Amino acid sequence: MARIGILLCNCFGEIGRTVDLKSIKARLEADPAVDSVTIVESLCLPGDAAGAHSLIRERGMGKVLIGACSPYGKMEFVKLGLAKEGTDVRTVRTVDLREGCAWVHGKDPEGATHKAANQLDMEIALLQNMRDSKDIGIRVQQEALVIGAGPAGLSAACGLARLGFKTHLVDRGSAPGGLLNVVTRTYPTDEPGPEKIGSLIKETGKNPLIRFYGKTKVSAVKGYAGDFKVSLAGPVGNTTLRVGAVVLATGARILFPQGLFGYGKVKNVITQMEMERRFATGAIGCKTAVFVQCVGARNAERPYCSTICCPLSLKNAMRVMDENPGAKSYVLHRDIMTPGSVLEAYYRRALQKGVQFIRFDADRPPEVRGQDQVSGVEIFDTISGVSRSIETDLLVLSTPFIPDPEATALARMLNIPVDKYGFYAEVYPIHPMETRNDGIFICGTARWPVSSDQAIAQGEAAAIKAAALMGNDTVSALTMSRVPGGKLGHAFADAAACTGCGNCVAVCPYEACRLQRTGNRSVSRVIKVRCKACGSCVSVCPNGAMQMPEQNYRAVGEMIRRAFREVR
Amino acid sequence: MSAERGNVKILVFACRWCGLIGADAAGRKRIELPASYRVIPVDCAGYVEPDAVIRAFASGATGVAVLGCHVGGCRFNDANHPALKRLELLKTLLDTTGIGGNRLLLGFGTAHESHQYAEMILAFHKQVEGLPSMASWMTSVASD
Amino acid sequence: MQTAEKKIRTVLVVGGGVAGMSAALDLAGSGHRVHLVESGYDLGGQVAKLDKFYPTDHCAFCPLWTEIRRCKESPSITIHTLSRVEALEKSNGGFRAVIAKSAPVIDPELCICCGRCETACPKGVAHPIWEHAYPPVYLIDRNRCGDCRTCVDACPTKAIGFERQEQKSELAVDEVIWSAGFTEVSLAPLKEYGWGTHPDILTSLEFEAWKAESGENKGAILRRSNRAVPRSIAFIQCAGARDLRLLPHCSAVCCMHALKQAQWVKRRNPDIHCVILYTDLRTVGRDYYEYAMREFGGNGVRLVRGRPSLIYPLPGGDGIAVKFEDTSTQKREIWKFDMVILNGNLKPTLSSQAAGEVIPELDGEGFVRRTAMSCGFVMEPSDVTESAIQASSAALRSITDKN
Repeated sequence: MARIGILLCNCFGEIGRTVDLKSIKARLEADPAVDSVTIVESLCLPGDAAGAHSLIRERGMGKVLIGACSPYGKMEFVKLGLAKEGTDVRTVRTVDLREGCAWVHGKDPEGATHKAANQLDMEIALLQNMRDSKDIGIRVQQEALVIGAGPAGLSAACGLARLGFKTHLVDRGSAPGGLLNVVTRTYPTDEPGPEKIGSLIKETGKNPLIRFYGKTKVSAVKGYAGDFKVSLAGPVGNTTLRVGAVVLATGARILFPQGLFGYGKVKNVITQMEMERRFATGAIGCKTAVFVQCVGARNAERPYCSTICCPLSLKNAMRVMDENPGAKSYVLHRDIMTPGSVLEAYYRRALQKGVQFIRFDADRPPEVRGQDQVSGVEIFDTISGVSRSIETDLLVLSTPFIPDPEATALARMLNIPVDKYGFYAEVYPIHPMETRNDGIFICGTARWPVSSDQAIAQGEAAAIKAAALMGNDTVSALTMSRVPGGKLGHAFADAAACTGCGNCVAVCPYEACRLQRTGNRSVSRVIKVRCKACGSCVSVCPNGAMQMPEQNYRAVGEMIRRAFREVR
Repeated sequence: MSAERGNVKILVFACRWCGLIGADAAGRKRIELPASYRVIPVDCAGYVEPDAVIRAFASGATGVAVLGCHVGGCRFNDANHPALKRLELLKTLLDTTGIGGNRLLLGFGTAHESHQYAEMILAFHKQVEGLPSMASWMTSVASD
Repeated sequence: MQTAEKKIRTVLVVGGGVAGMSAALDLAGSGHRVHLVESGYDLGGQVAKLDKFYPTDHCAFCPLWTEIRRCKESPSITIHTLSRVEALEKSNGGFRAVIAKSAPVIDPELCICCGRCETACPKGVAHPIWEHAYPPVYLIDRNRCGDCRTCVDACPTKAIGFERQEQKSELAVDEVIWSAGFTEVSLAPLKEYGWGTHPDILTSLEFEAWKAESGENKGAILRRSNRAVPRSIAFIQCAGARDLRLLPHCSAVCCMHALKQAQWVKRRNPDIHCVILYTDLRTVGRDYYEYAMREFGGNGVRLVRGRPSLIYPLPGGDGIAVKFEDTSTQKREIWKFDMVILNGNLKPTLSSQAAGEVIPELDGEGFVRRTAMSCGFVMEPSDVTESAIQASSAALRSITDKN
C-alpha cells in the first residue's frame, strides 16, 4: 500500500492564521499511513507546481493529498500545473481548507482546526481504500451512418466525408433530397431548392467515401458509441454495418389540415406543400391569394411554432404578386415569426412590396366562404377591431411539421428519447445535436421544425460532433465523459454477491446496466462505455454488490467513521 | 470541543456541482458558519445510499444533509430525481425508527448561491441543536 | 483509418462566449489547434453573467462553467483573455494575427483572491470579480483609483503592478472564426423610452444583474429607486429593435428573455403584477411557445399587444407611466407601473470598431455574414442553441474545403 505524501498550503496565512497547520502536521505524521507532511507557503504561483512535483518525486509519494483552497478556484491550476510536470493527477486528492474551512470559520480557530483535521483524515481513508476502475479501450469504427438524405442528412454525410470518414447514407426514398426537391424558390435568397442541395447531392455522388443506399431502412441497432452494429433492410436484402457514430436526419412530415378551413371539400384550399408543387409545374394564376398561418399549430393539440411557415408565406405571397401583376396577397396571422436580422429584413421587403397583413386571435379564426370553390374569407381584424371580408380565389393553409410516424420506433431502436410530440430530444440546449446515448446525433426537422438553411448547418454540426467521437482509433471508456476532470470511474457489479434483482437496470439514467444470464442466475453487468459514474445503481443495490471502486463503501464507511473523531 | 457545538455533528453529502458551488461562494464572501459540519463530496446526489445515511447516524452524526442540483438540472440525466424520492422515503423511515426525519436535510437546487448555502447550514445547525439528544445506544456504536 | 492525410490546422476564434467555446471545443475534438481570444477576464460571455437561462430556468453559469473548464483543460486550446485582435492580414494562404493582451493592475496568475487589497484600499476601488467567475480574482477600477499604492504592499504575492504594459504576440493561423457576440446599445437617443430618466426604468440586462440571486439583493425583486417591493412591472419589447432609427433587426432573444424574467418574478413573488407589452411574440425554438403559454395557477404573466409611445416617471414620484395603445381593444391607455424593463437593444459586438481592434467586413446592419466565418449573435441574432449549432457548423467549415 503506497504511503501518502501530504502537502499543506499556508496560503500566505489565509489558511494558516485560522487552521493550526503545525498541530495538524504533527498529528498526521503520527499516522502510519502517512509518509510525510510538508507545509508550503503556496502551490499556485509560477514555479510552485515544479517545486511540488519535485517533492512528490523525491519522496516517492505513491499518493498525494493536498490541503489547500477550493477545487473550483486556483486548485484547478495547481492540478493542471502538476499534470504538465508529469504527476499522475489521478493519484492526487485535495481537501478544501480555505473556502470550505478557514474562511467560513474564521471566528472559531479551534473548530476550524478540528474540522480540517477530520477532513484530512477522511480523505486519507478514501486514498487508502479507493481502487481503480478497470478501463476498457474500444476500437472505434472509423465509419459513420447517416439516416435520412434530406438537407440535414446530406450536409452531415458530406461533412463527415470531408473530414475523411467513410459514410453510409441511407434513405427510405429512392433518391436523396427529401422535401426540398419540389421547392422551386426558397427564402430568403429565392434560390431554387434543388440548387441549394444540388452541390451536396453531387458531392455524395462524387465522393468515394459516401455510399448512398436508396429505398433502405434501419431494422436493428446494437452496441454503443464507437461500435454500433446496424442492420439495414434494402432492395438488395439485408446488410450489416459496424459504425462509430450514427446521425439521425430522418426529417418530418407536414400536417394535412383535414377538416380545417374547408380543406378537402372546397376547391383551391391548399397546403403550402401543394402550392410548391403547383409552382413547380408552372406559374400559379390567381387574382388574390390568402395565406392563413398557424393552421393546426400553436394550439392545445400542438403547442409549438413550426418555424418556417411565416417566412414561407411571405415568400409565396410575394411570388404570387410577381407572377400576377395586379394580384393581391394577404397573410392572415397571429404573430409574424421572423426573428433575427435576415428574416426581419425579409418581412420589411414583403411589407414594401405590398403584401397585406391582417392579424387575428386564436379564439376567433378566419372563416372560409365558398361551397364548391373558395370564394372568400371572413376575418375579424383584431388590430382595427372590425370584421373584414376578402374575396379570394386561392386559400393557402400553413400547417406545421409533425414528427414522422416511424420516428418513435427508430428512437427506441437507437435508445434515445423523444419529446412529447415525437421529435427526437437532445441532451441539453448547449448540446443540441447530442443525445443521451453517446454516439447518436440528431439534426434537421426530425429534431425540431427548422428551415433548410438551419438543417444544413445542423448537419454540419452533427458531423463535427461525430468526428470528435471517431477521431481516434481507440477510445477509453473512462474518457467518454462531458464532465470536466473526466469520469470518476465505472460502476462494477460483484457477480458473486449480485442477486439479479434488477434495481440497477431500472434506475440507470444511461441504461448502462444489463442483466446477464450465467448458468441459472442472472447477474448485473455494467456497460462501461455508457456508465457515467453517477452512482445511482450503487445506492439502490440492496446488498452492496454494485460498487464504485474509486469511492467504494469501505472508503465511504471509513470516511463517515472519521468525520467527527476527537482530536487532541 | 466546546459544549455548544457538542450535540451538533452534521455530515453533508454534497454533489460537486450545485451542492458545493454555493459553499465555495460562501467561503469567498467569508460568511461565518458554525464548524459543526463535515463534507463528503460526491459526483451526484444519486450516489448517496440510504445505508450511508444510517451509518452516519450510527457513527455519531446528529444530522445529515444531502445537497444536489435542481430536479431537471442534473447533469447525469435526472439521476437526482429518483435520488430525491429515495431520500424522501428514507426521511419517513427515519421517523419510524426514532431517529427523526427532521435530522435529514434535503437541499436539491437550493444551495447554489452563497447566501442560500449559508442560510441552509445555519438553519439546519439551529434545528439540530434544538432537538433532544439521540438515544444513547446510537452514539455508543461509534468506536472513537 | 481516415483516408485523407490530416493536416492539423490552427484556427483563431475571436470571442469566448457560448459560440466561441463551442467552436473551440469542436475544433480541439477534431484534433486541430485553437487560439481563443476573449476581451474579458474570463470565458463565458454574456450568458455566463445571466442569473437564469431559458428554457430550463436554472442558473446560467453552471452549464457554461463545464464548457469553460473543458476549454481550459484542453491542451489544443490556447486561451487569451483580456485580449483583442489588433491586426489581421492574409499571409501564406492563411492569416497573420497580432493579439494585444492588456495587463490588468492585479495579475490574475498571481492573485490568490485573499482580499487584502480591498481591506487596504482607502477608496474601495478593489473588488472581487463577478460571482461564479473561475478562478476568482480581484480587480482594481483604474478610473476611480487614487494612485496611493497602498494595495501594492498589502498584496502577499506581489500581484499588483501599476506599470504593466500591454503584451503583443503574433500568431500564424489558417482560419478565423468570429464569435464576439452581442452588447447593449444605449437607448438614450430614443427619448420616448425614458431610459436614464429614472432608476426604475432599466434595460433587461440591468434588471437581470439587479435581481440576480448572487447579486446585491440576494434574489429579492426590489425597486431600484427605494428598494421597496414593486407592485407591478412592465416589460417593453422591441425597445430600440425593429426600429429604423436605431436597430432595424429583431434581436430574436428578447421575447423569450422577457418571458423568462417575468415568469421568474411571478415565481419569486406571485403578488407582483407583470405585463409584457409586445409586437410579435417570437417564440420560435424548441418548447418556447409552450414556455410562453405557461400560467401559474391562473395568476400568470399578462401579455398585451401594443408598442408604447411614451414612458415617463410620474411627477408625484411614485411610479412610471406607460402610454400605449392596447391593440386588442383599440383603446389608448396610460398604465402605471413601479418598474419598467426595456428589451431589445442588442447589437452585434463588432458593429462598432473599438480603437486598436480589427473587425471583419460587416453587412448593412452590422453583422458578419458568411464571407468571413462567423457564428452566434455577431453573425445573426441567436439564442444559445442556435449559436452552438452555428459554432459547430463554422468549426467544420474552417477545417474542410468545400468541393
